[in-house]
Parts: sequence; C-alpha cells; structure tokens
Amino acid sequence: MRRRRFLLASLLFPGLAAATAATPYAPARRGTALEFPRDHGGHAGFRTEWWYVTGALDLPERDIGFQLTFFRVRRRSADALDSPFAPRQILFAHAAVTLPGGRLRHAERAARAGLGAEFSATDCDVHIGPWRMQRTGTGTGEHIRLRALDPGFAFELRLTPTQPLLLQGENGWSQKGPRPELASHYVSWPQLRAEGQLTLDNTRRTASGRAWFDHEWSSEVLGEAGVGWDWIGINLDDGGALMAFRIRDPSGATVHAHAALRDAAGRLTRFGPQDVSFAPLRHWQSPRNGARYPVQMQIRIGPHTLRTTPVIDDQEIIARRPLPLSYWEGLVRLDGDLRGRGYLELTGYSDRMAL
Amino acid sequence: MTRLAWWLIRAQFLSRRSATALSMLAIALGVSLGYAIHLINAAALADFAHAMKSVQGEPDAIIAPRDSAGHVPRALIDEIARDESVALVAPVIETRVRLGRDSTAVRLIGIDVFSAAVLMPSLLPRDGAPASGGILDGGLYASPTLLDNLGLKVGAGATVIRGESRWETPIAGDLPALAAGEALLVADIAWVQAHFGPHAGVGELRVRLMPGSRAEAWRAAWAKRLPPGLDIRAAADNAARIANISRAYRVNLNVLALVALLTGAFLVFATQLTAVAQRSTQFALLGVLGLPPRMRLLQVLFEGVAIGLPGSALGLTLGYALAVMFTRVIGGDLGGGFFAASTPTIVPELLPGLGFLILGCGASLMGALYPAWLNRIQPLAQALKTGFAQRPPGDAPRTLHGRRVMLLAIVAVIPVLTRLPAIDDLPLAGYAAIALVLVLGIAAAPVATRLAFGAMARTTLPAPLRIAVQNVLQAPLMAQVAASGLIVSFALTVSMVTMVASFRTALDQWLDTVLPAPHYLRSKGLPLPRELLAALELPGTPFVRVERMATGSLSLDPRRPPVALLVRELDRADPGARLPFSGPVLTTPNGEITVWVSEAMQEVHGLRTGQTLHLPLLGRDIEVVVGGVWRDYARQFGAIAISATDYRELGGRFEVTDLALWPHPGSEDAARRWLAAEAARHGIESAESADIRRLSLSIFDKSFAVTYALEAAAMLIGLFGLAVTLAASVWLRARELATLSALGFDRAMLARAVVFEGALIALVGLALGLASGIAVGAILTHVVNPQAFHWRMPLHVPWTQVLPIALATLLAGMLASRFAARQATALPAAHVLAGAQ
Repeated sequence: MRRRRFLLASLLFPGLAAATAATPYAPARRGTALEFPRDHGGHAGFRTEWWYVTGALDLPERDIGFQLTFFRVRRRSADALDSPFAPRQILFAHAAVTLPGGRLRHAERAARAGLGAEFSATDCDVHIGPWRMQRTGTGTGEHIRLRALDPGFAFELRLTPTQPLLLQGENGWSQKGPRPELASHYVSWPQLRAEGQLTLDNTRRTASGRAWFDHEWSSEVLGEAGVGWDWIGINLDDGGALMAFRIRDPSGATVHAHAALRDAAGRLTRFGPQDVSFAPLRHWQSPRNGARYPVQMQIRIGPHTLRTTPVIDDQEIIARRPLPLSYWEGLVRLDGDLRGRGYLELTGYSDRMAL
Repeated sequence: MTRLAWWLIRAQFLSRRSATALSMLAIALGVSLGYAIHLINAAALADFAHAMKSVQGEPDAIIAPRDSAGHVPRALIDEIARDESVALVAPVIETRVRLGRDSTAVRLIGIDVFSAAVLMPSLLPRDGAPASGGILDGGLYASPTLLDNLGLKVGAGATVIRGESRWETPIAGDLPALAAGEALLVADIAWVQAHFGPHAGVGELRVRLMPGSRAEAWRAAWAKRLPPGLDIRAAADNAARIANISRAYRVNLNVLALVALLTGAFLVFATQLTAVAQRSTQFALLGVLGLPPRMRLLQVLFEGVAIGLPGSALGLTLGYALAVMFTRVIGGDLGGGFFAASTPTIVPELLPGLGFLILGCGASLMGALYPAWLNRIQPLAQALKTGFAQRPPGDAPRTLHGRRVMLLAIVAVIPVLTRLPAIDDLPLAGYAAIALVLVLGIAAAPVATRLAFGAMARTTLPAPLRIAVQNVLQAPLMAQVAASGLIVSFALTVSMVTMVASFRTALDQWLDTVLPAPHYLRSKGLPLPRELLAALELPGTPFVRVERMATGSLSLDPRRPPVALLVRELDRADPGARLPFSGPVLTTPNGEITVWVSEAMQEVHGLRTGQTLHLPLLGRDIEVVVGGVWRDYARQFGAIAISATDYRELGGRFEVTDLALWPHPGSEDAARRWLAAEAARHGIESAESADIRRLSLSIFDKSFAVTYALEAAAMLIGLFGLAVTLAASVWLRARELATLSALGFDRAMLARAVVFEGALIALVGLALGLASGIAVGAILTHVVNPQAFHWRMPLHVPWTQVLPIALATLLAGMLASRFAARQATALPAAHVLAGAQ
C-alpha cells in the first residue's frame, strides 16, 4: 500500500522524480576537444559562462572604448521544476562606452532565459530583449553582430575576423589555480575588425575600430584562496595579441598566473605562473565604494616588460542586477616592449568576486 | 457702515437665535455630507491606487488576456522583449489560492524577480532579493498583514492550494513595503506556473519602455498586432477602471448632499425672509436716515454669508469627523461594497475644503438673494406706515400669467429629459428632470390651493376656520414659502422611500429566481476540489439534483471594469428556468453559441436580443448570439451567461467554482450535515439560500441607511420652515389678529385659526409633495438607476410607509403652528392696535 502510494506520488508530481536527477555542475575537463561553431554556443551544464567583447574605436573619435558582455549563470534549485519559466539559467549583460576626456557610460540588463532572454546551445547567439550578440556566416562572410541600447548610449557593431581563433591554455582548457578542478574552457578571438554605429546623446555616428572576443565557461575558477583577478586582453599594434591574467588572494599575492602571446605571424608563446607578474604602479580610488584599483600596472611576461595606462582613470562598473557587483573594466594603452590597445579588468577589489 | 452692519447682524442673530442656529446647522449638514463623501472616496481611491501601484508598478503598457481564463503566450513575451523601445518586460501570473485549512482566498502573485526588482520593488523583501533561499529557489514571500491574519512567521511551511494542486513550500520572507491591509503572497512566476498554470504562457505582461519613448504611439502600434484575445492598456486605464467602479454610487450620494445643502439654502431663505419682514420698519427708518437701498440689499446678503460661513466651517469639521468615523467603522466603500477591507487614511487637502466652504456660503447666499431683493425694493413710506409689503406692487397679474406658461413648459420638458441618455455614464438629464419636478410642485402650489379650498371658502364654516381658509387662499408669500419647504422635503422623502422600496421589492423577487436551490457551495473564485465533485457523483449522497457553475471575467473595454462570465449548466431550451429574463427569450439552433446577457450589458454595450456579438473568449474572437436579457442586481458592470455545453464545445475548461444543491425530500438534515463536513474538509463556504437572501437584504439595507438619515433631516428642515414662516406670517398679520381679538375672538379661537391655517398649508404641501415625490421616485427608478447603475426594476410605492409619514408630518405641522399661534395670542391686542395708529 505504502509503495503504491509512493508510485502514485511520483506520477502526480513529476518534479519529484526529476529532483533526484538534478545534475551537478559540469567540470572543465582537460583534453576536451572544442568544436566550432557548436562551442561558440552556451554550455548550460556549467555554472558560469560569458561572451565578452571589448574594443577600441578610432571613429567617430580616437580611443573610444566599448564593451558588451553577456553572462550566463546556472541555478540548480529549479532543476526539478516543470515550467518553461523555471529560473535555471540567468542571463545578464553589461555594456559600457569609455569616452576619452569624458567618463564611462554603463548600462545593464538581466533576465532569466525563457522570459525575454535566450541563448543558443549550438552557436554564439544570446540576447536579453533587444540586446544581442550573434555569430553568423562562414569563411569571409563570418561576422559577430553586437547590439546594446540604453538612453545614454547605444551601439550596433559588426565584427569581422582577421585572424583565426586563439584557444587559450591547452587547446582551450585554461587552468586558473593550483588544483586541476580550478579551470575553465576559454576561447579568444583577437584583432576583429569592428564597423557600425555608435549613438551618443541621440546622435548616431559611424564607428570603426578593433575588437577582442572572449568566450569562457567554467564551474569553479577562484577556489577558496582566490578573491579576484587582474586580466588584460590587448590587440597589439603590429597585429599580435596578448592575453595575461593572475588570480589574487585577499593579501594581493598571486595564486595563479598565465599569459599567451601570439605574434603577427601566428606563432603562439605560453607563459606559466613563474613567468608572469603584475605590479601596481598607481592606484585610483573609487569615490563610490572606496575600492582602490591598480589602474596602472607593470606587467612582466617572460622577457617582456610592459606598462598599462588607462584612457581615463574612472572606468569602474557598478552593476546592480541581478546582484550588486563592482569591478574596473577599461580601455588601456600598452607600452614598453610591446605596444597596443586593449582592456584591463580588475575584479575583487571592492568585494570578493561572486559568480 | 461696517459697524452698523455688524450691529444689525448681532441683533438679528440674538433675536432669532434658534432659526439662525438651525439654518447654520442645515448648511453644515449639507457641507459635511458632501465633504465627508469626498474625503472618504478620495482616500479610498488613493489607497486603492497606491495599493495597485505597489503591486502593479508603473508600467507604460499592460498586455493582458480579455478572458480571465486566457493567457499571454510565451512567444509574444519574447517578441515584445526584443522590441527596441522596450526597456523591460515584467511577466506576472496572478491567481487566487487558499493556505492550508483556512478558507480565505488569498492573492498569489507570481513574479520574475529580475523585472520586478525594477518595476515592482514592493513585491520583494526590503533588501532586494536575497541570493538564495528566496522565491527564486521556490519559497514564498507573504505580506505582513497576511502573516498576522494567519498567525504565521517567516520560515514557517505553507500549503498553497488551488483546486487539485497543492504546493508545500516555506515562507522565505515578508514584504514590508506593502501597505497594511494588503493580504497577498508572492512567489516566483515559474513555480506559480508549474503548480497553477496557465499552461502555455503568463497571466499578464507589464512593459516599461525606454525613457523618451512615446508610450501612446507604441501601445497603439502593438494594439494592431496583438491576437484578438489580448488587449493592451495603459496603467492609467486601470486607475480609470477603479474610479469608474464607485463613480455612479458616489455621484448619487453627492446629489443627496446637494439636496441637504439646498434644504439649508431654503432654511436661510425662510429665516431671512421673516427677518426682513420683521425688520421692515427698522430698515425703513434707516432708509429715511440715509441708508441707500443698495446697502439694504447688501445687508441681507451679508447676513446670509454670516450664516453660511460658520455653517460651512462647522460642516467641514463635521465632515472630517464623519469621514474618519465612517472609514473606521464601515471602511472606505461608503457601504457600497466596492473596495473590500480597506481602511484608508483621511487626508484633508486645502483646495477641496475651500471648495466646499464656498459651496456652503454660496447656498446660504442663494437663500438670502430673494429676501435681499425684497428688502431693497420696499417702499419706505409704506413700510413705515403699514409694515412689510409681501410682494412688489403691481406685478401680481404678470406673475400669474408667466407662471402658467412656465408650468406648461416644464410639464412639456420633463418627459423629454427622462428619455435622454446618460452623459458620460451620469444621468444628468434625469437629475435635471428631478429638479424640474420639484420646481413644478412648488409653482403649482397656489393653483392647487385654489382648486382644493376654493369651494370650501364658499361654504359656511365656523369663523376661525373661514379666516384660515381665506388666508391660505390668498396665498400670501409666507404661506407659499411654508408650503414649498414641505413640498420639497416631503417629495424627497417620498421619492427616496419609493426608490428604495422598489429596489428592495425587486431584489427580493429577484433573489427568489436566482436562488432556486436550498443549498449553495462556493469557493470564492477558486475551482472546487475535484474530490468533492467526484463525491457528489457517487450514489448515496443526500442530493436529488446538483447544478454546477464556473465564474470568470471578460474585459470588453480596457477602460471599464471587466464583465462577469458565468458558465452554467443551463437548459438551452429553457434558460428562463434559471435566469430571470426581463424580455423575450430566443430559442437558437444548437450549432449557434448563445449567451444571455444581463441588463447592465444591454445598457452599457447597447445589446439587443437576437443580435450577434463578438466575444474575446478563450483567446479567440468568437461570434455568439444574444439569446435574451436577464435581470442581475449582483454584478453592476454586467454579466454574460453561457451554457456549460457551449463553453466546453468552444474548448473551454469547465472549472467549477459554485454548486447549487437540492436535497432529497426528507433528507434535509442529512444534506446539511454532509455539506458542513465537506465545507470544513475543503475549506470552502456552504450557505443556505435563506441565509444568502437574509445577508443580501441586510447588505442592501445597510447601504441605504445613510439615505434614511437624510430623509429625516429633510423632513425636520421642512417642518421647521413651516414653523418659522407661520410665525412670521402671524407676526405680519398682528394687526389683523388684534382686530379679530377686539371683535371678540378669544385666545382659543385665534389659536384654532392659526393651527387650522398651518394644517391647510401642510395638507397642500404634503399632497403636492406626495405627487412630486412619486414622480421623482419614478424618475429615480426608471431613469437614474438604469443609467447610473444599470439596474432596472418596477416602481413600487410603499403606501404603508408613505401615508404614516404624511400623517406624522401633518400632526407635526399642526404642532409647529401651535407654536406660531401662541405667539399670535401673546400679542396684546390693544398695544398692537394702538401702535398701528
């Protein structure tokens, strides 16, 4: 009798059966072969994922920075729920424009997938309302289209690849800490030609420049020790590309670091933790939350000594949705042994970076 | 000059203390009533609007199904969200649920925290949505009022029940931003959808546009693209809906207040007229001493304001107190049952208060206008010699002729006015007709007097009576004033009593037809548990017959409240067995979907029996035939009945919410026990038709209680007017009475003459008042009620109430004239006669 009732219950409440089947977060496994365009799409089993485009425009003005990031966060509490609106995947997006001599303009959107937002699992196609990032076409017709709109600014850009993808780490498996579980899948696409329109104060102008695309998905990167990271992604003036990061502990010491340099000819050099160091040269303190960001850094990567200089100091982003999140994300010039422009990202300076 | 004015006012108030005080009181009554209605309603609406704003946010557009059983499809949410002008889409599913064993229906609002955080922050706990353990993980947020009502705490487990679905989940937080009195639950939209539906979409989509977008154009553009089952509206339309809900009721109460104010004006008129008459010698003397006629006019007007101003000020204070008391005791719905369970805060504002102050002063000034004019044109010499001239010399014949023309014109206009439609849903022409009926009644008084007592004057009567008849027949100004006061007050009383009695009789009969079964089970809009319905199908229940009904609503016009949709097990061949039709009933072929609409639908949407109609049913545009119009006093905004068979054929789900049950003859007690047990088990409501009837009638009586108070006040004012004017007329005729007394009339005879005169005037006033009252009652019943409330009913004059009131008034009138008679007989005859020389 009791048994029958139990069976009946699982029929009446289909969620009950599904609850036991709730899957854990997928780990980033070393040796996973990435396939494109499928791996440009979302990886719903992982805890977090982002599609991240940064760039520097020379039209309508020199050194205008822009970025558009779509984040995906998986929540497991609704795994058992039988509803098309179940909040299993939350999407949020940050867009910003840096105006030299001016200030950073920033906007955000957040929604659950299935209610005015969606992402594709087979290609890069993610949107929240009218905000969108979408890859289309093949060969010379291949593009990534970006769109972000806000009362303060809007841009619609078409990115055209000039170089092949750059698989970070070991064929796209990027270690983030001393333990092998602390890793992500990480794909970059530097030196994208950007063309389109930039709207500022209701004036639409033609825009063009260079961009950098990152796509990274993981379930655990910071570990217990890490509180945040410093990262750069720079399109070098000579056509090369440089990516470097370090994970910091609360004292500011490096937990893990890594860098990859691809020269204009396509030769790739990787640098391990011992070959990469970040040293603050100058701090800028946020008037909003008091966080002190090392906006100017000396970075050593193997034989190269480099310096970053921000276009403007205040490129802090304070996001509220879905959760309060503050970080510094801005256009910098790189000089020293290598020269170029790109983005510096400083996280975990006001709070531990919570994903 | 001002000192003289003040001195005159002071003397006037001191010598006519009770009359002045009563005039002030009457003005105060009118002002206080109007002001209290305004305050209560403004507070209730503000309260409601605030509650709505905190629950709904302030979206630029709301997209919702027209049918309460409908939904906004998923694909549309995405399409709207991708629109470049859209900043945010906030999908919402709202439903009614029960919590555990408690039988109260509670609002459950399913939201999406990401959009609600921006648009409806009141629906989230104080610190925003916590990262985990909140509704995003399947918990509930409950409003503090609900927690208090149920004695629950945050952290407790709750069982949310609707129909067959049960959902056990913890209460994860409370909603301190919601106003007290708001009893609701908030959950994540996905959990609400999974447990209670709708299956393929959401209940409503609220849209916030990008700043700078043109919301109206955007809504208009989307209105064209939406499927027929959906409509798009502005948040302001919802506010208009709310204001519309109580509008007609409120306007009617305001008209009553206006009536009170007018009776106040009449009292000022009577008081000032007697004051002018009694002081004619004084004024004449002042005139001789150099006071210009203009100042004589201004003085009386000034005195009018001097009554009006304190009266209005008192009225404002009283009104405020009344409003506070009413909201505490009855709630903000003025007994109309529109805004359930709200105790709004009364906030007096300067401008409306000032408006009512001016209104009160204006009424008082209006009352003083004619006496002031009379005072101005008094011929000084005559006034000094013979006293007050009741009408200006030489204008009598013109007045009579003019009066006849005017009467005929009014008689012709009234029927036209009663046939005019409502303007903006208000029966303004009906109100005008009522005013004209009252004017007609007053204007007809001299004619009626002559007709009634002309013959009497020619017969031989005892001297006191003959004198009284003669006096009334000559219809001096004072007698007319006294009569008109009674005409108006009695007409108003008769009309209200008639209207209320007609309504009550009609309601009583209507309850008979709509409550055919001895027992009813209902769950306040929630579907009844299937287990219960299945139990009723089993053999051995004590019922011989069970009829099921489902309720929903349809939005036919975004600016009007939705109409009720009643899905009933009706016999299509004989719908009249269950619906009280007020006109012909059409038999339609089986293939045609037939609906039967209530009179309100007929009134508002201009429907006729036999016509086809397009209804937004089940998300589609469905053509139906109107099979008949039935009477419905329960749903003021209209109801559409459809047979359950037709509804199922259209693909609708017959989710039963109400049951009518007939017990087996002889097993009434078993039936009662059976129902009581089931009602307790499922937390639903069981009622016997007798209880429902009793409750309905008691609600009805309560909502009309305020009108009885007004009637009493009107009658009191009318009687007082009679006493004041009679006393004045006696005073004016002092010399005549003195002469009579010199001729041998003793005090008793004089008193009898005056009392008889009062009785005659009262009789004329009551007769005309009765006639006008029935006419006004007919207009209220047949014109004002259908236009304002969309209720039709046959006229029913409650003679058993009207005649005793008339008799009591007559006796009171005679009593009042005794007071005048005592004054008359108190005059020392010799002194008067000597003074006249």
